[in-house]
Amino acid sequence: MFVLSFLVRRLAQGALIVFLVTLLIFTLLRVVPGDPVRLMAGGMAPEALIEQIAKDMGLRDPILVQFGRYMGGVVRGDLGQSFVRPASGASTGGSSFGDSTRGERAEVLTLIGETLPMTLQLGGLAILFALVFSFLVGIPGGLAPGRWPDRVAFYISSIFISLPNFWLGIVLAMLLSVQLGWLPAIGYGGFAYTILPAIVLAVELAPVLIRTLTGSVAGVMMEPFIAVGNVRGLSRSRIIVAHALRNASVPLLNLIGIQISGLLGGVLVVEFIFDYPGLGLLTITAVLQRDFPLIQGIAIVTSAIFVFINIAVDLIATMIDPRLEY
Amino acid sequence: MNDISRRNFLAGIGVAGAGAGLLQINPDFLFSSAFAQTGKTMVFLSAENITGNWDPSGHTTLSQKNIEGFVMGFLTRTPMKLDNPGEVVYELATDIKLLDPHRLQIKLREGIVFHDGKPFKAEDVKATFEYGALPDRPAQWYPGPTETLTIETPDDYTVIVDTSKGGYPAHLFIFLASFLPIMSAKDIAGGPTGPLTQRLNGTGPFKFGKQEGNATILEAYPDYFLGAPKIPGISFNFVGDSTTRMLSLLNGQASIVERLEPEQVTSLEGNDKIAISSVISVENKYLWFRCSKAPFDNPLVRKAACHAIDRSMLVEILGSAGHASANYVSPVKFGYLDLPNYPEYSPEKCQALLAEAGFPKGEGLPALEYITSVGFYPKTKEYGEVITAMLQEQGFQVSLSVLEIAAWNERLYDRPGGGPGHMVDCGWSTGSPEPDLVLRTHFHSSSKRICGIVDKEIDASLDKERSAPTLEERKAILQTETMPMLADKVPALSLFTSVMIHAMDKSLAGLFIYPDGSMDASKATFG
Repeated sequence: MFVLSFLVRRLAQGALIVFLVTLLIFTLLRVVPGDPVRLMAGGMAPEALIEQIAKDMGLRDPILVQFGRYMGGVVRGDLGQSFVRPASGASTGGSSFGDSTRGERAEVLTLIGETLPMTLQLGGLAILFALVFSFLVGIPGGLAPGRWPDRVAFYISSIFISLPNFWLGIVLAMLLSVQLGWLPAIGYGGFAYTILPAIVLAVELAPVLIRTLTGSVAGVMMEPFIAVGNVRGLSRSRIIVAHALRNASVPLLNLIGIQISGLLGGVLVVEFIFDYPGLGLLTITAVLQRDFPLIQGIAIVTSAIFVFINIAVDLIATMIDPRLEY
Repeated sequence: MNDISRRNFLAGIGVAGAGAGLLQINPDFLFSSAFAQTGKTMVFLSAENITGNWDPSGHTTLSQKNIEGFVMGFLTRTPMKLDNPGEVVYELATDIKLLDPHRLQIKLREGIVFHDGKPFKAEDVKATFEYGALPDRPAQWYPGPTETLTIETPDDYTVIVDTSKGGYPAHLFIFLASFLPIMSAKDIAGGPTGPLTQRLNGTGPFKFGKQEGNATILEAYPDYFLGAPKIPGISFNFVGDSTTRMLSLLNGQASIVERLEPEQVTSLEGNDKIAISSVISVENKYLWFRCSKAPFDNPLVRKAACHAIDRSMLVEILGSAGHASANYVSPVKFGYLDLPNYPEYSPEKCQALLAEAGFPKGEGLPALEYITSVGFYPKTKEYGEVITAMLQEQGFQVSLSVLEIAAWNERLYDRPGGGPGHMVDCGWSTGSPEPDLVLRTHFHSSSKRICGIVDKEIDASLDKERSAPTLEERKAILQTETMPMLADKVPALSLFTSVMIHAMDKSLAGLFIYPDGSMDASKATFG
């Protein structure tokens, strides 16, 4: 019953957040410089044609009217068609409005559906790498506060947080791909192409996870129930794995929810550097091409994903520690 | 410690299972695909995206012209080398000759078939010319619309182009022959919404395979009339970032990349696995003045601005990516010469002209906006800042707007009342020696793409050179009248000629790169 009321309440809040994000993005896109119709029609198209196309597409209506029309489509599962991309999904430019491919523009939902799994694969692998590394460095640090494992954890997280992702991406590509030839770097031709960008993202995620894990493990290890564990005859490894880590994982879990939300910024840069065909690269080209329907579609989908992730994180946290209430 | 408990037993089973599973995993799937294509398909990374409409008459996009260079057939090809700009290599044509000033006869090669199996005949050339010259075709490369042309096909392998109705000479088609891809009459019959838009169908060494996201896949055409290509195919990919393109070349994923920054050339020159190709291109970079609005509607002010700019400094900034020139067309184009009256850097002349125009030391001039782009052309921001500083030094109140490509493109062209800003940076590249593809396109009042100039004297001179009965006479008019007049009225200032820089895998041999960036890969091999 608690789970049901929790879900209903949080989903309603989430729907409101997605709605507000959509409204904000929709409004901002229409007030920034750069007329998408000029891009669609071609730079040489006469002004009269530009205005006619804009009117035909309803782009000169009041913003709220346009938004209402757009949301009408969204609730029916129609995110519209890309302004510039053809059905093949290629990133295009310089097309003219009169060309026949106008009728074959790619569906926004299809473009997102093709690229989102790539980004989820990248994001998932990055989180896995970050978690494994954070556990390997953070737990020994937390178990030995003030001693060398703690200092190593501190230094590593300090170094990692100072590395700009665009620089690290280029350096790792030069080292692991160009010099050593261990991994491919550019584009996508198989799972191996995900590893290098995932490492870059993991380096971005790891410092906060390491510090949180070190602090929370150290804190939990000083709790009375840990000391009691020894008296109960439990082995140290069992105390750490079954008791300390379980309790230390709640702040880590909340943090991962926030980190995943923040991952999008890193994904944009990393996918662009590695020409990785995910949602980040799609977003960058959509912004550069003023592809309004695509930008709006991506904004809706990503904000919905973040809302769901946060709901899921809160739900899991309450299941781990029933004292928590959200 | 050695007691077997339920928990220990399950943990042991789990570890053993994971170990057994690990032995079953073939790690090749992680690493084998990365370099699988090395030495096989040629992977080209393009700096520019395509349009999504494959009709060759439907765009002016350079990257798509490059793809057409692999797939389509041309009547002739013009290598446009600096030492021999007029060289012509016959391809689908075997002979082109003027019967009289308004009639051009083209003899065609026999035994050639399109990739879809249709035999290549005179009807295809006729259909291509008549369709491409339609006023609604966006590319607009032809000297006159379809109604000014009469195309006769006395037999399957002879075409006669008659321009009597248009009043312009037929020799204008000689240079265009190397620039216009020949389409199939069958495809053209389907109209501008038919098969032309869906795929390329030509007679070139590679046939169109498919479009996969940003990759255009081309396959070797085994029946190519000059012999089947050695490489099995080409993957033509759009990759917007120049660092990414270079990394991809360095790690062996790409075979060849284009539009390198000068610093990248320097760092690649020491790499013994990479070869650099530098070709003086057909592209000049221009500072376009908005001539239809103040203050650049006054030729004195335009000329004063030109004398304020030291072009040798710009070429220095460009390094290996720029070549000094003093004309409105590239040195590899027909009619080029270093114009004696081309505006040189002279602060004294600049000040004298400003005073004559009524703006001594720039006083009274409005604030001016200079628009440039980043992300496509090399060093635009860097030399844009230098131009801005040089103009400011002479009293022009200039502010530089550096825009990303889409925003710049949106503000590039002329509009009624003058386009946005007062000056704009842009290059113009056409893969033919034909100078009118630049001069007439930009400076005739019927077109005036960017600068918006309307000048009866320029129009008359452009009409005169176009109508010259022979190429020799045309060259004389261009060099002694039209080009000097443009240098005097300066609707734009050509800053320099671009150098087309490609970097490629050193084992890639036999690839010929044209000055517009298109390539002949029919004899390319990986050594």
